[in-house]
Amino acid sequence: MPARPVLRLPEPVLKRVAEPVARIDDAARSLAVDLIDTMRASPACVGIAAPQIGVSVRAFVVDVTGHKKAKSCHGEFVLFNPEILLAHGPVAAREGCMSVPDLTGDVPRATRLVVRGLTPEGEDRVLSVDAFEARAVQHEIDHLDGLLFIDRVTSGDALFRRKVYR
Amino acid sequence: MAHFAVTAVGSDRPGIVAAVTKTLVDHDCNLEDTSMSILRGHFAMMLVVAGPIALDPSALEAALVQETGGFDLVVAVRQIDDAVPASPEGDAWTVAVYGADRPGIVHAITALLADIGVNVVDLTTRVIGDAERPVYAMVLEVTLPPAVSPQDVAARLDEQAAALGVECSLHPSEADIL
Repeated sequence: MPARPVLRLPEPVLKRVAEPVARIDDAARSLAVDLIDTMRASPACVGIAAPQIGVSVRAFVVDVTGHKKAKSCHGEFVLFNPEILLAHGPVAAREGCMSVPDLTGDVPRATRLVVRGLTPEGEDRVLSVDAFEARAVQHEIDHLDGLLFIDRVTSGDALFRRKVYR
Repeated sequence: MAHFAVTAVGSDRPGIVAAVTKTLVDHDCNLEDTSMSILRGHFAMMLVVAGPIALDPSALEAALVQETGGFDLVVAVRQIDDAVPASPEGDAWTVAVYGADRPGIVHAITALLADIGVNVVDLTTRVIGDAERPVYAMVLEVTLPPAVSPQDVAARLDEQAAALGVECSLHPSEADIL
């Protein structure tokens, strides 16, 4: 399955609350593959949520392997219907998003999380994540609720121009 | 379409933004990048707006002064270049400086940065603490050119901060694109 284009503001699907999957079927497994392929198409990308590729379904992929700010690292994982069970210790750090051109912002995020969701195999999975992996998971789950990092910045002072990434 | 730099400053109270932007809308101006904040009790607006080519900056300035008269704003409008100048490329770092208030802190720090080719992209200063012992706090967002080493910049900032009797730190603020 080829990588799909990553949608950008003001695409309405990015602001919609995504629907949970009723069950893991072929369509869900195919979505998981598309999420992974789309993430792999951008070398620096560490995660993609389904709404970013135009699918208003509660699913995302994250892979923080090799990232210098990562502590916990579960490699590549896709979760459907993710839920945050526990969250500790908000810390602000600067984020950007493939769906929000030109801007970056300082966003407070929990540094430790326990998150639960369904895998593409239909199994229940509980992950304990921290540091950068926790930030990436929260950023992706926000996409499922129609929230972008600019909805989370603490003040106007916290928005900055993003440098051009090649 | 032409571009104009608009500044307006007045004692802070509700309605200033609504009043200024009404006049701008009435003159067919579209707000592009803006920055507005309270500076020592004064609401300060800086706006870059796009407007009709035929718009006379001094006429817009006069209209803003007249139509926002109740707010007693200090207003200036100037036409600026339509082209968007490119800022130097490099990595994003943040410099924080704080210490006893004294004249010359901003100049000394920014002159040092300019000397080594570091570009300032955002700068905020505040006087905090009580009247007897005011503390000057400055946060700069800067771009380090690829050829400049952060360790070298940090060492030079430390040296300058020590001479000024202030504290200074440099830390990376490169965003992670998620």
